[in-house]
Amino acid sequence: MLLPNGKVRFKPYNSHFALQTAGGESNAFTSNDITNYYVTLPANNIETGFWLESDRMLSLDFSEKSLSVQRNVVIEEFKERYLNQPYGDVWLRILPLAYKEHPYNWATIGKEISHIEQADLDQVKSFFFNFYAPNNAILVVAGNISLEETKRLCEKWFEPIPRRNTQINAYPQEPKQTEARKEHVYSDVPLNMIVKAYHMGGRLDTDYYACDLLSDILGGGKSAKFYNKLVKEKRLFSELDTYISGDADPGLFLIEGKLSKGVSFETAESAILEELELFKSELVSEKELTKVINKTETNIQFGDISLLNRAMKLAFAAFLGDINLANTEIDHYLAVNPETLQKVAKNMLVEENCSTLYYHAK
Amino acid sequence: MIDLNRKTIPAFHTIEKLSFPEYQKIEIKNQLFLYALKAGTQAVIRLDFIFEAGLIHQLQTAQASFTSSMLSEGTQTKSALALAEALDYYGSYFQTRANADDAVATLYCLEKHLSNCLPIFMEALTQSVFPEKELDIQKKNSLSKLLVNEKKNSYLCKKNYYQKIYGEQHPYAAFGSKEDIQQLSKDKLISFYESNYMRGLKYVMVSGQFKENSIHIIAQEIKASVFERQVNATGHFTIQSTPGQHFIEKSDSVQSALRIGKISIGRNHVDFRKLQFLNLIFGGYFGSRLMKNIREDKGLTYGIYSVLEPNLHGASWYIDTDINTKNRTEGITEIYNEIKKIQSDPIPQSELETAKNYYLGSFLKSLDGPFSLADRLKIIIDNTLADTYYPEFVSILNSTSSKELQELAVKYFDTENIVEVVVGKK
Repeated sequence: MLLPNGKVRFKPYNSHFALQTAGGESNAFTSNDITNYYVTLPANNIETGFWLESDRMLSLDFSEKSLSVQRNVVIEEFKERYLNQPYGDVWLRILPLAYKEHPYNWATIGKEISHIEQADLDQVKSFFFNFYAPNNAILVVAGNISLEETKRLCEKWFEPIPRRNTQINAYPQEPKQTEARKEHVYSDVPLNMIVKAYHMGGRLDTDYYACDLLSDILGGGKSAKFYNKLVKEKRLFSELDTYISGDADPGLFLIEGKLSKGVSFETAESAILEELELFKSELVSEKELTKVINKTETNIQFGDISLLNRAMKLAFAAFLGDINLANTEIDHYLAVNPETLQKVAKNMLVEENCSTLYYHAK
Repeated sequence: MIDLNRKTIPAFHTIEKLSFPEYQKIEIKNQLFLYALKAGTQAVIRLDFIFEAGLIHQLQTAQASFTSSMLSEGTQTKSALALAEALDYYGSYFQTRANADDAVATLYCLEKHLSNCLPIFMEALTQSVFPEKELDIQKKNSLSKLLVNEKKNSYLCKKNYYQKIYGEQHPYAAFGSKEDIQQLSKDKLISFYESNYMRGLKYVMVSGQFKENSIHIIAQEIKASVFERQVNATGHFTIQSTPGQHFIEKSDSVQSALRIGKISIGRNHVDFRKLQFLNLIFGGYFGSRLMKNIREDKGLTYGIYSVLEPNLHGASWYIDTDINTKNRTEGITEIYNEIKKIQSDPIPQSELETAKNYYLGSFLKSLDGPFSLADRLKIIIDNTLADTYYPEFVSILNSTSSKELQELAVKYFDTENIVEVVVGKK
């Protein structure tokens, strides 16, 4: 990849304007795995969406002026999100610590502002023509529209766009981590913070769902283990969360906490490790497992209320190569049992597999 | 192959009619109403209890927010953990929040778990005991959060803006300080709970997709509860703005947070909906003038918006952005240029048309989900508006001329008493 991030993007303003005239809205985001452009508009104006997105795929407004403005906008985004917030750069620090080979060691926006400043028109062009190709895209249409009409519009607007000779090199896979990694950062923040990142499987890995449930059991909400033991009982942390990165390739399982004033990193970390050891030594009860699966079912159902969410979910399932995943997600969670959880915890939650960031309040 | 015209937009339809869905209004007890709004595809429930327990009701800063967040921290028979476990077991979520004009306690659950979750939720609402130990933990964690917030330019800017626009004594300007939080006692929470929750339930709203029987279950549960509708008198609050420029130095920042605004009108004002539309054109969406000029043309910010914020006891209109410090002066000048421009030149017809269609389209999109509809229903109830309030937007937007909007801009975007708050490097 020439441009390690897809973040330098253009918004062709005139067509955007036209979309709004048809009652629509459009936006885009770049994750570690995909760039997703999306348009929502009244069902009877769907053709405007085809018109806009097919035009965007055909070519962009590659002008120096446009690039220079968007460069500045993204630099301001970088500052707003990563530099001008307390703890804003945690992600920029933890990724290169956890990933030595895999491109996930880059934050999507770039590692530093100079990367955005140096993006030139040729890089943007070649990135665009390589990746924004019809043969490298998935189109999802959702809403009050028939399959026939969808096909007709696809043929009309997208078929004329020629396929491109897209080259995507195989990304280097991350070699197995064999020793604990630690980094200390000092910053003008009010409280110490610790982040522990463990390598876990990718989105299609059989243990993915167990890892997700594990993060809920340990850190999801007020009945979770960490909250009750470490925040409330021992009062070592003011906040302590666990979550997974959810990437397509092997991702991260993260524990992230702000230490209470006066608590040392040693005390805080050993309390976390103690809880993890305790967890590994006994099987999760059926009741606790049912609880986190029920929570997951609620999240899925509430997420599916939004048509846009459903469309995005379908797109990501298609991207992963298993379109049925959009329907069967809950079955995968239901298949997790206490033994799997224990096995996953034992394998994953070990120091040799962990990158720890100590974020010191200066 | 068809000869495609990619230059011009394909023929499209404009939105001629909006309808707000039917909802039920059921009287449970004397003047206590349950509103039920069904929409969407998933069998899910959001149940909101709305209390007279917002910033305008509290007698002491941080009382409203702590009473609200402590509701889930224990009852006569259940500890905080037991409550959380019971609700989590059925995959439900219990959320509380204190707003400017009220406080809302919400249960989210799948319809199939309603009868299991509801009694636990009701127990938390009606039998809360505010344990000393839990309060202590919440205070400590809340003080930690405050320390982090005080490092954020956006937080400082917001706080100072409300203090300057409404006056420090106004309830909307009440941001809990370290001392406010430390001083809160269990007794203060209990007295607020008794007067403003137990005797302060305004109404209940259920939204989502569910069967009639679920409405029945909810109605029965409320009927059997101790809740009674009693209207408490609300005080009158004087607004005391301090117009002018206010600068808060944060020497280590790479961006400046900025809020520029003034006192505005509430939802019941005859000009309100038109002003909302004018605000959209000015800074209310991605295609707005502020975005076009300051982001898309000059690249000075990642985002800039103008907001019309109508609370029941005071409304304000403001521009909000985080901006490149080096070009801050240029950015502020451009903001004032845009204000001047919208006051002096009529808005071109095409721009008006785009904004109108966008606005109606986004309303149509929100009809997609039950919860955004419930949010709109809440606005209707809280402001005693007619059910036609939203559908009327079509005719109002269609009949508003450029000239009228220009007059509104002169009247409501007048810069004379404007408040300007900047947080950043000198």
